[in-house]
Amino acid sequence: MELADRAVGLLLTLISLSIFTYFTFWVIIVPFVDSDHFVHQYFLPLEYAIIIPVFAGVALLSLLSLFVGSVMLKSRKKKNKKA
Amino acid sequence: MLTFGKLTNSQDKGAPFSPMKHIFKIISLLAAISAFWVGLLQASIIPRTHTWLLPIYLVVSLGCYGLLMVGVGLMQFPTCPQEAVLLQQDIAEAKGFLKDKGVDVGSD
Repeated sequence: MELADRAVGLLLTLISLSIFTYFTFWVIIVPFVDSDHFVHQYFLPLEYAIIIPVFAGVALLSLLSLFVGSVMLKSRKKKNKKA
Repeated sequence: MLTFGKLTNSQDKGAPFSPMKHIFKIISLLAAISAFWVGLLQASIIPRTHTWLLPIYLVVSLGCYGLLMVGVGLMQFPTCPQEAVLLQQDIAEAKGFLKDKGVDVGSD
């Protein structure tokens, strides 16, 4: 369905734009704001700006390698069955 | 998506494919960015902790850009309903032909 594809595309663009703006604000603008401004309660402490992307990257890499490994195992099992 | 577009746009019809030039461009860009980052570290205009965050910010923004391109491409993807019907007819015809000849076409 074309509409489902366009909905998924719109969702992806919205997610990416929101992540980009939130992360930009978090890393570049919030550190230069005074400590007692109200904005600081909307953002986690700055250490989490390192932990969360690194954790997400590690999770992504491990999922990718799991997927590649499972595909390779499946293809080898199929080849052994046929031969 | 970004690199694939650059690869196809920069080739003439008769020019041979040269992957090395593209690698050099990427490496020089990375070297320029890291030189800028090390310079920023040495100059100490911005507090140290913020300078350490800069490469992570660049990687996250690159990932966001890729996701954005995927989403935009999905939204603008053109579908051709008539060609889809013709393609299905072609597939059915080819399957029937091959089955008559005895080839195993498999199931989908």
